[in-house]
Amino acid sequence: MTVTLNPARLLRFPRAFLFGAAILLTSVILAAVPSVFAPYDPLMMDYINLLAPPSAAHPFGTDNFGRDVLSRVIHAYTIDMQIALFATLFPFIFGTIVGAIVGYVGGVTEAIFGRIVDAVITFPFLVLVIAIVSVLGPGLINMYIAIGVVGWVFYARIIAAEVKVQKRLDYADAGRAMGYTNSRIIFRHLLPNAITPAVVYWMTDMALAILLGSSLGYLGLGAQPPAAEWGVQIADGKNFMATAWWISVFPGIAIVITGLGFSLLGDGLAEILRGRK
Amino acid sequence: MSMTAFLGRRLLQLIPTLIFILVVVFVLVRLLPGDPASAVLGDRALDADVERINRELGLDRSLPVQFLAFTKMVFTGDLGNSISMKIPVTQLIWERLPITMLLTFMAAMIAVVFAVPLAFIAALRRNELPDNAIRGAFQVGLSMPVFYSGLILLTVFGAKLRWFPVGGYGDGFIDHVYHLFLPAVTLALSLSAILMRNLRSAIIGVVDAEYVTFARAKGLRSGLILFRHILRNAMISTLALFGLSIGTLLGGAVITETVFAVPGAGRLMIDSIYSRDYPVVQGLTIALAILVSVTFLLTDILQAWLDPRVTK
Repeated sequence: MTVTLNPARLLRFPRAFLFGAAILLTSVILAAVPSVFAPYDPLMMDYINLLAPPSAAHPFGTDNFGRDVLSRVIHAYTIDMQIALFATLFPFIFGTIVGAIVGYVGGVTEAIFGRIVDAVITFPFLVLVIAIVSVLGPGLINMYIAIGVVGWVFYARIIAAEVKVQKRLDYADAGRAMGYTNSRIIFRHLLPNAITPAVVYWMTDMALAILLGSSLGYLGLGAQPPAAEWGVQIADGKNFMATAWWISVFPGIAIVITGLGFSLLGDGLAEILRGRK
Repeated sequence: MSMTAFLGRRLLQLIPTLIFILVVVFVLVRLLPGDPASAVLGDRALDADVERINRELGLDRSLPVQFLAFTKMVFTGDLGNSISMKIPVTQLIWERLPITMLLTFMAAMIAVVFAVPLAFIAALRRNELPDNAIRGAFQVGLSMPVFYSGLILLTVFGAKLRWFPVGGYGDGFIDHVYHLFLPAVTLALSLSAILMRNLRSAIIGVVDAEYVTFARAKGLRSGLILFRHILRNAMISTLALFGLSIGTLLGGAVITETVFAVPGAGRLMIDSIYSRDYPVVQGLTIALAILVSVTFLLTDILQAWLDPRVTK
């Protein structure tokens, strides 16, 4: 399928989708080349301008080390967008494969999988992730592992339900009649038709990953200072809220806008796909 | 299926879940870097002492034997002692968990108080200005991390306006509720957004249903229709969602308690991670998972009672 950017067709997309796409496009550009847009080095300390309020020279003010808050917010896009991608990519791929197999095979495999799902949703997600990170030690890689260990289950559940429906349709029978192997039927034929709800969930999940990643950063269990990450920045500024609100408030706005971008894109995508059916 | 059979089956389903919880926690603790003995004794421990502690903790035995011993300890209510506080973990949990439960309960109540009226306004004025404004505001609420909204509420209503205390738990029940109010509002924000969204579409679905048209045709007052017919049915799916959100809510409580310095189970969890107090982390993980499974069970029963079709 080729996507042509005919403006007339583009306008027919839901507004939520276009709005979300615009936010995310900007976020990706900022994440890719932050130095082009950031006025200062995010780690540069300026001891003459400590806790300076927003001004023309520092539009978002400076923090208690004299670092430019705007530059730190922009550079944080690199880490936080990376969190959105890496924390969800492995669960998405692994969950999709497991879900496709479970849905196709059914029977005992499905029953065992059902129990695993029950047990995983019994753990408060954040508590389990925090417990795993505490075992592995703080840091981004360990955070991805902790989220991945739990997160794949949700994708697998969505895909399994969808594959179960698809495998009863005629084209699956046709594949079997042609003598195709099970893996060819599952991955070449059923999966492309079953994957859309998982992709929609993926968008929402990326928004959740940013919330989770920044929460762990805030608690000191995710990205480590002095790295520019929104959660870490908010934690840096929390003791200055009454006197220098700008240190924490601006990174928070960045989280909200980016999270909004992902949810709008997800909602819009769901709407487009529903319309097509 | 009768209600008793439904209850029996639901209780049986708890067993594999509980076993899984124990296995996960057991494996997690065994994955810990370094051995617990050095954690108890410090870096300068003598080999003989390490051996003695390992024997006392049963760590010199095979893994299956250790797992059985661990399971037995959990079922007899013995979760070991806190390394840093030198008191039984069970005692700590009994002291701290009720605070978290009160916080979570208050948050749930506040979320319902926010969500129900707004969901009705949004549903009955579908796609008009009030609907769009409410949905937009909640969309923003959903994208806002708990620690951020908490920090802002704390600064504005605690530090600046001084309407509420900036942290702690207070003395006596009324004072507890007063201290927990801002944390509970923080926690309620994202939950009410989820509840509102679901309740809105549930109401839209019910408003057009035949039995509501029938009730109108019978000449029932619209207020009565709203509460007896629409709300009751819309509440069923909301209840299911509420049960499913309890895990998220408890996770949020961990962060909220840290932001507001509330001495609950969540704050204890974070403190124990910083001080590497593994028996406490292990005990709390088990306690919170059990709390969630019991909540699932209760919401399932309530749902079956509200909607007899569930037991079929």
